[in-house]
Amino acid sequence: MLTMHNVGKIYQTDSVQTHALRDFSLTVNEGEFIAVTGPSGSGKTTFLNIAGLLEPFTSGQYTLDGIDIGGLSDNQRADIRNQKIGYIFQGFNLIPDLNIYENVEVPLRYRGVPAKERKVRILECLEQVGLASRARHLPQQLSGGQQQRVAIARALAGKPRFLLADEPTGNLDTLMARQVMELLEEINQNGATIVMVTHDPELARRAPRNIQVVDGELADLTFYQGKPATPASAPEKSAHESVVGG
Amino acid sequence: MFLHYIDLSIRSIKSTPVISVLMVFAIAIGIGLTMTSLSVFHMMSMDPIPHKSQAIHFPQLNIMDEGGEWHTDDNIPYQLTYQDAINLYNADADFPRSPSFRSGFSVHLNTPDVKPTMEPARLVYQEFFSIFERPFIFGAPWSKEEQQSKPYVVVISESINNRLFNGQNSVGKSIYLDNKSYRIVGVVEDWDHHIKYYDLNNGAFNSPEKLYVPFSIAPLEEIGTWGNTNGWKHETLNGYQSLLQSELVWVQFWVQLNTAAEKEAFSALIMAYMEDQQSKGRFNRDNLQYALRNVTQWLKYNQVVSEDNRILVGLSFMFLLVCVANILGLLLAKFLKRAPEVGVRRALGASKKHIFAQHIVEVSVIGLAGGILGIVIAQLGLWGVRTTNRYYEALATMDVSLLLAAPTIALMASFIAGLYPAWLVCRTQPAIYLKSQ
Amino acid sequence: MLEIKPIFNALRRSKVGAILLFLQIALTTAVVSNAAFMINDHLSYLKEDTGFVQQEIFSFGLMTFGKDIDLHQQAERDEDMIRRIPGVIDAVFIQAVPLTGGGSSTSSHLRPPPEESKSLSLAYYYADEHTLDTFGVTLLEGRNFRPEEVVIGSDFDGHGPNTVIVSQAYAQEMFEGESALGKTIYVSSRPLEIIGVVETMKSPWPRGDRSSRTSIIPFINVQNFHRVMVRTEASERDSVMKVIEDKMLSQYDQRVIINIEGLEESKNSYDATDVLMMRMLMVLVVILVLVTALGILGLTQFNISKRTKQIGTRRALGARKSDIIRYFLVENAMICTVGLVIGSFAAFFLGRVLMNAYSINALEMQFVIGTAVGICVMSLLAVIVPAMRAANFSPSIATRSI
Repeated sequence: MLTMHNVGKIYQTDSVQTHALRDFSLTVNEGEFIAVTGPSGSGKTTFLNIAGLLEPFTSGQYTLDGIDIGGLSDNQRADIRNQKIGYIFQGFNLIPDLNIYENVEVPLRYRGVPAKERKVRILECLEQVGLASRARHLPQQLSGGQQQRVAIARALAGKPRFLLADEPTGNLDTLMARQVMELLEEINQNGATIVMVTHDPELARRAPRNIQVVDGELADLTFYQGKPATPASAPEKSAHESVVGG
Repeated sequence: MFLHYIDLSIRSIKSTPVISVLMVFAIAIGIGLTMTSLSVFHMMSMDPIPHKSQAIHFPQLNIMDEGGEWHTDDNIPYQLTYQDAINLYNADADFPRSPSFRSGFSVHLNTPDVKPTMEPARLVYQEFFSIFERPFIFGAPWSKEEQQSKPYVVVISESINNRLFNGQNSVGKSIYLDNKSYRIVGVVEDWDHHIKYYDLNNGAFNSPEKLYVPFSIAPLEEIGTWGNTNGWKHETLNGYQSLLQSELVWVQFWVQLNTAAEKEAFSALIMAYMEDQQSKGRFNRDNLQYALRNVTQWLKYNQVVSEDNRILVGLSFMFLLVCVANILGLLLAKFLKRAPEVGVRRALGASKKHIFAQHIVEVSVIGLAGGILGIVIAQLGLWGVRTTNRYYEALATMDVSLLLAAPTIALMASFIAGLYPAWLVCRTQPAIYLKSQ
Repeated sequence: MLEIKPIFNALRRSKVGAILLFLQIALTTAVVSNAAFMINDHLSYLKEDTGFVQQEIFSFGLMTFGKDIDLHQQAERDEDMIRRIPGVIDAVFIQAVPLTGGGSSTSSHLRPPPEESKSLSLAYYYADEHTLDTFGVTLLEGRNFRPEEVVIGSDFDGHGPNTVIVSQAYAQEMFEGESALGKTIYVSSRPLEIIGVVETMKSPWPRGDRSSRTSIIPFINVQNFHRVMVRTEASERDSVMKVIEDKMLSQYDQRVIINIEGLEESKNSYDATDVLMMRMLMVLVVILVLVTALGILGLTQFNISKRTKQIGTRRALGARKSDIIRYFLVENAMICTVGLVIGSFAAFFLGRVLMNAYSINALEMQFVIGTAVGICVMSLLAVIVPAMRAANFSPSIATRSI
């Protein structure tokens, strides 16, 4: 699914070069659920941004779903984001001027999904996160947990095979956090590959595979929680692939 | 606290120089343009003689036979016939009054070393000087006897006195007007007015005359008017004497009526005069009609403020409105950006009032700066107006009242623009911004 | 894919920015289209042909106070003298100078006055057979006056002239398409036969509808204050103007020469208020458009800075750069359209108010359309720069926490 080989990222300011990532190599298989941990400033978010095609990288090679990302144009990358990747942000990032329904609609519009199909999918996704009844509410009328569930619904709407979550529970209390986590596990069960950045060791332990980033380098691949570092649910992938196609 | 707010606003302005400069400029340009047109408007519509404008009156008579039409609002001719002006002057009453018209003479000393020049002159009776309070530097107006029996006298203005007599007291000396010698009885100050309200014939912003000679000179020297002459029926004129007998209107007339009672008395006099004339065959109309307007009414009736100028004032206020909308947008941007900071202030105990006051003070500082810069722009604009035509030299200036009005209008405009953004930002709930950080 | 509905919904929920923009555009449309119309009005008046060769003509006033001469004979001598000055083409004594704002007009009739007949106001110049040449106007039909047709005197009704030359505009209005040549009009009670028709010849008051109804009447009544017009070679005019006072006074010195002035100078001072109004309106229009453009720029900037994160999120969710630019363009176009439509109505309303209150013609459609198109283009230009900047935001903004 995802292969990074010696990926590096350097932030260049006038006088200082910062190595946010160096020689970062990682392979993520179809259907995995990986938790990325590490101290603040270690490069977790940079890794996530590069993995999610939100930022270009400086060196190395990155292949997503068989596509070499390095040589893509801005528009091609936008299209891959739109079709293959779903994002869940720490700050939810719902668009305040749009209601719940319209927020979930945003990626579908960019994909050019016809209106009828959009409607079916949006309601489906909202159903899945248990917020179908709030479709006409504005984001600020919902609680934090609800907002994050909307964000998840939005991430799911495009039926992505690859889901990136950046501290998805960072702004939520324990109860809410647990609900969101359960939702992510359910999505993973349905076949999507998930990479989740978190600083909460308890949450991380719930993921089948854990990796740690320290000073821009992949430091520890050994924390397995008793399970082997092999794809947990590879057999279920076929069920999903048929839907994603486009 | 107020000083603290000013300190805060100056810091805030410094921290966002571009947007602040834009706002100051928007106000300044709006004020500058509005003030430019408003200044000209103000000068045009200013009361030229504030303490007497209610007392000095201009009588008009409807001399036309039944059915006659005039191009005025009330269908009465602007000016009087010579005979009516003379009769109203000679009528038995105590009110100071004088007929008047503009003409001109070549002025010289009948010596070869001074080249004759052409000077506009006003033909009046001696009461004219007291009605309009013309200050004499030397001498005094001519007497009633002089204007009746020895009318070859003249009052000259300061600038002519300076040119011909080096500013020395010239009373008693003689000058030549055309080919006749006139004895100087007085020297008056130059009449420095914005509006030539006492004679709107040659344009309300025409220059004043520099010579005054008795009205009784007119029939003796057959002096024609330099203003308009209008008629309402066909008359064959044969020479100057027939002009004096005619129904042509070309003479202005002013009368000073200090009280309502005096005005009533003079109205009665006019009515009686017209009835008497009717019995002699003039004024063939069903209803005798006259008008008696004071200076303020007279200027309005003559539409002294030009149409163009009214339109400009209106348009420039709309322009100011656009500037206000503009500033409103910029302020909104600026203040809302600062919402987190306001959240902190609120958490630290600032009341809504404090926050509101802080922002209104900031808006006022911007408004004031814009107002002052606006005055500079307006001065530039007025300079531009003055260079267009000398006609505007006296008009396109800013007097004290407008100089004060500029920052006031700027402050008001900035208040209007700042009210909503300040209100919005003072409603900030502290919690929202503190939580998300 | 124009996302009109969601953009509209988003606008509905953050009204203030949109309303401000809308207000500015509407007001600007209303003010600019009326101002442009008025500018055009003034401009087309200023550009109008007066018929005179202005750069070759100058005039002056002549005030004679000496009583020891016959004014008419002196006028003849003066005319002869002036015409002999090198560079002078022709000269004429005249009671009123064109384009100066001071002159005479009367009513003219098809039948002698007590009788009811069609009547038109008519500006007239009292002068002799040298007038056509001095004015430089074009004779379309008929002929110039003969010297013997010029009448000298003071009794117009009793012993006045019998002929007249009129302008084409007057001829057409009075005789409605029939040839005016040979017809008679009555000025005062005097019948005047039209012997010539000239092309354009403006009155002393070149502004207004009646400014083209003019005539030359061959009647000389020299007063002690009289006016003289001189036509010279264009290159010689300045030097002739310099010597004219001395030459006149050397002929006879009991008089004063005043207001020696080129004809276009006279017209310029007559037009000063028009020019001023036009300039002020132009300044108003230019600054207003600039300020509005600035306002659009500022508000778009504000919208964008408020929505930085949103833009990043959209980019993360798969929006291309062009989608972001399009979003802001469509948003702006929507506000702009509403602003322009309302603004156009406001423009006509304002035009109507101005027309009722003042002597202004009805606002013409094309000025509103032109203004609307101009403002539309300007607002698109004003929005495209910030929108392109927004499109260049990195999508990774979405993962930043503030």
